[in-house]
This record gives sequence, C-alpha cells and structure tokens, in this order.
Amino acid sequence: METLRTLYMGISSGIDQPGGNVNMDIVWQIRLPRAILGGMAGAALAVSGTALQGLFRNPLVSSGMLGVSAGAGFGAALGIVFFKSALMIYVLAFAFGLAAVFFSYTIGRIYNSAPAIMLVLGGVIVSSIFSALLSLVKYLANPYEELPSIVFWLMGSLASASYRDIAISSIPIIAGITGLFIMRWRINVLSMGEREASSMGINVNIDRIIVVFCATLATAGAVSVCGIIGWIGLVVPHMGRIIAGSDNRILIPASISLGASFLIIVDNIGRAVTGTEIPLSIITAIIGGPFFVYLLKKYKGGNW
Amino acid sequence: MNHVIEIKNGSFSYNDDPVFEEISFALGRGEILCLFGPNGCGKTTLLDNILGYHKLKSGSILIHGEDISTLGKSEIARRISYVPQVHDKSFPFKVIDIVVMGRTPHIGSMSSPSSEDYNIAEEAIKAVGIEHLKNRIYTTLSGGETQLVILARALAQDTSVIIMDEPASHLDFRHELILLELIAELVKTKKISVLMSTHSPNHAFYFENAGVPAKIALMHNRNIMASGLPGEIISEKNMERIFSITSKVFKNNLPGENLSFIMPLKTIKR
Repeated sequence: METLRTLYMGISSGIDQPGGNVNMDIVWQIRLPRAILGGMAGAALAVSGTALQGLFRNPLVSSGMLGVSAGAGFGAALGIVFFKSALMIYVLAFAFGLAAVFFSYTIGRIYNSAPAIMLVLGGVIVSSIFSALLSLVKYLANPYEELPSIVFWLMGSLASASYRDIAISSIPIIAGITGLFIMRWRINVLSMGEREASSMGINVNIDRIIVVFCATLATAGAVSVCGIIGWIGLVVPHMGRIIAGSDNRILIPASISLGASFLIIVDNIGRAVTGTEIPLSIITAIIGGPFFVYLLKKYKGGNW
Repeated sequence: MNHVIEIKNGSFSYNDDPVFEEISFALGRGEILCLFGPNGCGKTTLLDNILGYHKLKSGSILIHGEDISTLGKSEIARRISYVPQVHDKSFPFKVIDIVVMGRTPHIGSMSSPSSEDYNIAEEAIKAVGIEHLKNRIYTTLSGGETQLVILARALAQDTSVIIMDEPASHLDFRHELILLELIAELVKTKKISVLMSTHSPNHAFYFENAGVPAKIALMHNRNIMASGLPGEIISEKNMERIFSITSKVFKNNLPGENLSFIMPLKTIKR
C-alpha cells in the first residue's frame, strides 16, 4: 500500500527530485528498475527457450542451448579482468554471446543444409570451448577482486539494476521478443520437422536463422546485463505448455508473461529470504526444480 | 493429356554418388502413379526433388508446365502437398491445429490462419472421416489415425497434386484399406493427382481394380525400368528381374468383377 502511494506520488509530482523522500528514492530508483529489468530478462529467457524448443522439436533445449550463455560468460569475464567498466562488461558479454551462436551455426552448416541436430551439436561444442576459456580467465584472474566478481556475475543478479541497464538491454530484448512473436505461427509449422515444414511452403533454412537470431538477441540482451540466470529458459516454456497448450500462437505470449512474473518473484524471494541477497540462478533452480516436478505430476506430463 | 507433373531427363546425386540418372515420366490430372522399387533405389530422393526439398543436378521438373526451379517454396506448396511415411510427432497439438497448418502456403508470412482457414481445415477433416478426432491431442492417436490426420492436412493445403511416400507401410489391415479407399475417392471425385511410392504392387492393383486411372513405374538401377498399366507391368518376369524372386500373378476376370493381385513365392539365391 505504502509502495503504491509512493509510486503514485512519483507519477503526480515527477521523479527528478532526489533526496526529497527516502521511500520515493527506494521505490523509483532501486525497486522499480529492478522489477522492470527482471521482467524483461525473464520474458526474454523464457520466450527464447520456448521458440528454440519448438524449432528443435526437443523439450530439453533451453535458451542457452546454442552457446549464448557460455559465450556471454566468457565475454563478461574478459570485461571484468581487462576493462573493469560496467559498460565494457555488457558489450563484451553481448558480443561473445552472439559470436558463440554464430560459431555454432557455422559448425552446423558443415552439412550444407544445416539439419537441426548439427546445430545442437555445434552448440555443445562451442559451449564447452567457451567454458574452458572462461576457466582459463578465472584461473589467471586476480583471486581477491576479479575472481569473486566473475563468480558473482556468473550466478546472476539484478542488484545493480538501473535505468541505464534497462535502456541498454531493452533494445536487443524487445527486438528479439518482437521477432519471435511475429514468427509464432511459423514456429508451429517448423515443429513438424524439416521435410514437412518445407512441403508446407516454409523456407526452413531462412526461418530457422530468423528464429535462432531473435532468440539469441533476446537472450544475449538479458544475460549481458543480469548475468547467467539458468533454468528459466528450460522450465518456464514447460509451465507455459502445461497451462496454455502447445500452440505457439498462445504459448509465446504466455511464456513472455510467465517468464517475466517468474523472475520478478524469484528476485523478490532472493532479496527477502535472508539478510544478504542470494544470487538468482541459485533460487531459480531451488524453487523451479521442485515446482516443475509438482507441475509434471499434477498434469501427468501434459501428454508428452 | 495435360500433364500435371512432368520430369524430363532428371538426374540427382549426393556429392558424387548418383541416385538416379536421366529419369523421365509424367503424371496426368486425376491419375495415380505408383512408384515401385527395392529399398534404397532412390524413390524418396526422387519425391524430395519433386517437392523442391532437393534440386536436380540436371534435367527439369515441370508443374503445370512451369519449371520448379522458377517457383518459390510457397508457390510449390500451393501446388503439391505431402504425406510422409510416418509423421514424427513433436508437441501435443490438437488435431484441428495440425490440419490447419496445411493452410500455411496460403497465408501471409507474418499472419496466422483465419476463421476461413479453419473452415477449410474442418472440411478436410470431414472428407477424411475423422470428425470425432477433431479436438483430440494428436500425440495420443494411433499410427493409423495419425496418418489420416496428415492426409487431412494435405487436403487442407488444397493442392492439385499429393505426393505420398509409402503412406501405408505402417498401417494395420483396416487403416491401409481406409487410406487406399480415400485416395481412390479423391482421385475420382476431385480429380486430384497422386504420386505415391510403395512397396506393395497390390496397391497399384487395388486402384486398377477400383477403376481409377492408375499407372505404375518400376524403379531399378537408378532409372525407370518400365512403366504403364499395373496389369501389364506387374509381371512375374519383372519381379524376378528386380527382386530375384519368384511370384505368381492371379487374375480374376469374372463379369463385373475384375480382380488382380500378386503373391511373392520364393527368393532366388543369387
């Protein structure tokens, strides 16, 4: 209630009056950007996972499948060790996230038609290479300052959320989500398999690049600002499928809102449960895992 | 006769491995062509070429007189639909949502199917006789029911040609017959043309017995060894040449009942 009144005060009298009111600063400068960023990141991870699961016809695929997370982790570690500026960490994480998927795709094209299984294999190869490179950077990093920063970054956090973070990450996230939203009917058809989708007039190679690119853009945008938040891109699509069904015309929007709500709730729990903040990926896994088991049991696997 | 599909001197190879060479045949309107030949003789690859999934190394494929290499994916898909041997199920979609996917080449690349498209899908479901399955989750259906759903999807695609790759090879006795009856019905009433590969020469006999214009092409040694009416082409001699087996063709020429079938008897040791 107090929060709502403060939000209203901010809207009615303008928010550019720092120092005026402690509540107002907390709500407008700390909590609200954190919630917005969390919502965007959660939506991006969940919708990318949904789209890639549909594209690869595989319920075990997640948003990090093609190496985005591993690439971004390595990029962020480089940024932390060599530049120490927040902006460079974003830029490097984002760039290496995209680069990792590009490498996966190139490996997948060893066969000239890039069948889905080759892409997944490419993702596995590229992920493990970037994980190795990340370990190398960690090994060489200063163990008192840089190493803890890298480790905390990798566990994911919204603690430093600011309007600048939102501005930076909103461009790729919104572009990626919009693209996937437009493609949602075609993802249905793509999930029929390559040959059948092609016989229904889908240019499989082009549409697959579009879906992979949009999913990568959204995921990289989220990961480069919030760190690596596991599990959402895998589990939220399944929650969506159990609640909304498999039709991507409904499932894609459902994943967007479920992912956003899920991450905001998880972040609140992480902030409130103990005196210190618990990193996000710890909570997403601890809460998400049992909740997923509960859903699977209740809906008997949703006809899988 | 006006040819719906015509392939002229078509050759295809994977890298340097030739699959078929200098193949020519034609399919007329309201006609069934059964493609028959041993495992691995290239039937599926040939069908893939006509579907635009692969490209010929040389020669040409014409659909209604237009060269396939000048047509885009959705232009091909508005002319030819496809029923695979087995549909590999993915997510638990409803049957109606699977069938309406057949409308994809008719709708814009950024839009979703309209209520008009759903009406067409419902008609296709009715034509195949699976109204009772309309709202079922298709991952719970049997293989035979699934194949009918996929046939309904091909009908919703509203094409003049349907290509089927061994459509009955995994079906039980009854579902095989349901599928053959439906194909014969579609060819007779809607003048749809069907190109199907099959491992059963009796499929071709079935269509001939049912009085549907049917031809059979025997694929052997990377080419079409013989083609024509099933009664002329399916012979004990041809089966021996292709498969090294002895077999017997039975013909029953009773008035008003013209039945033929072939029975394999024994392999010949090579």
